[in-house]
Amino acid sequence: MTDTRIIAHEFDFMAPESVSEVLDLLERYGSKAKIMAGGTDLLVLLKMDKIAPEVIINLMKITDLNSIKEEDGLRIGATTRLSRIRDYCSRDRRYAALHDAISVLGKPQVWNMGTMAGNLCNASPAADTAPPLLVYKARVKLLGRSGERTLGLEEFFKGVNRTALSEGELLVEIRTEKIPERTGSAFMKTARVGADISKVTCAVAVQRDGNRCTACRIALGAVAPVPMRAKGAEGLIQGAEVDEGVLEKAGRQVAQEVRPIDDVRSTAEYRRDVAKTLFKDVFSKAWARAAGEQE
Amino acid sequence: MRKEKVVLKVNGEEHELLVEPNALLLNVLRDELELTGAKYACGVGQCGGCTVLMNGEAVLSCLVLAVAANGAEIQTVEGLVKPDGTLDPLQEAFLDHSAIQCGFCTPGMVMISKDLLNRNASPSEQEIREHIRGNICRCTGYNSIVRAVKSCKH
Repeated sequence: MTDTRIIAHEFDFMAPESVSEVLDLLERYGSKAKIMAGGTDLLVLLKMDKIAPEVIINLMKITDLNSIKEEDGLRIGATTRLSRIRDYCSRDRRYAALHDAISVLGKPQVWNMGTMAGNLCNASPAADTAPPLLVYKARVKLLGRSGERTLGLEEFFKGVNRTALSEGELLVEIRTEKIPERTGSAFMKTARVGADISKVTCAVAVQRDGNRCTACRIALGAVAPVPMRAKGAEGLIQGAEVDEGVLEKAGRQVAQEVRPIDDVRSTAEYRRDVAKTLFKDVFSKAWARAAGEQE
Repeated sequence: MRKEKVVLKVNGEEHELLVEPNALLLNVLRDELELTGAKYACGVGQCGGCTVLMNGEAVLSCLVLAVAANGAEIQTVEGLVKPDGTLDPLQEAFLDHSAIQCGFCTPGMVMISKDLLNRNASPSEQEIREHIRGNICRCTGYNSIVRAVKSCKH
């Protein structure tokens, strides 16, 4: 029987101030240690007795990783809180899909606590920030004692709650690619109530030349073991003159590409239907934004 | 599990405490400092009843380790009251609009509304509803809560 008033499990707490110290600690404690950023997911798992680390390594004292800046794309450090990322994206509309996603993620309290790196490292299929990052061609920088590597976000997600991080490695930075001119992006989710975990999420980034689509990326969440792209649907739209017929066809393709399951939040059948409709709504919003239309 | 020394500045007053690493900020506030305004309800970040301001921003104190809050400034609902006992205008507004029934969600509602008003001096109804969406009122008194916040221009 769990009691969510307390954390019954005992552990040691470390709050290093540099990445190098974190790597030392990870080397020393290996799988006995858990990394904590905002803690909004980790503490729930601890309360539920789902994890039992001997050591918790808090990242939030590493001020070097608390940063967000434009450098031919966004560069976001691992300890940057969601509220800061949301504020940044509200000023730079090229990142509208990321702004949309954080705005509907959890609740304002969670924006002030949680980080995007944490959202990605938990690797929930429903992680709200994953689809926007997939359409922005995001890569993640992983640092370990044996060196540094950069992975595309698609290679980073390995399964439900599983990532490409090896023992001793730390995700230190998220980078997106430079966004071309005349590109618009959007994100929406369906959930039972605003603060709930998503049933289906969708992000679209689209570049237009008049009424012709010159580039399109579509990503969905909560409809497969990992956040996924709908590459077949992207192919149908790319290069096409956009009209209701093309959108309908692409929507049907999206519904075919997703691999949803039945669970406590929805049935697979419902998710498939909603994925199509949601995609069309998100596409229309991104399309209007690509033309610079005011909202 | 060794105890750790933490310093918390709560409602303007500095406290040096010895806490276990698994102690939660909410329980330290309630049990050690006897500030029982912030409430334990769901314990997993779904209800907002434990909302306090940490370094000026709303957080869920049931999901913050006290050791991770070391050095932080915390404001609880008790800290809104002036030393002479005068209530904050936001608290007055809650009273004026009967924005309380059982009162259990009220400290969290007041603190998340304070967080909004700190950023946005005159929020629209839509902005208020979006900002308090993670705070659950079991008596469903949302309309009067929204009216109270809306009436309270900073």
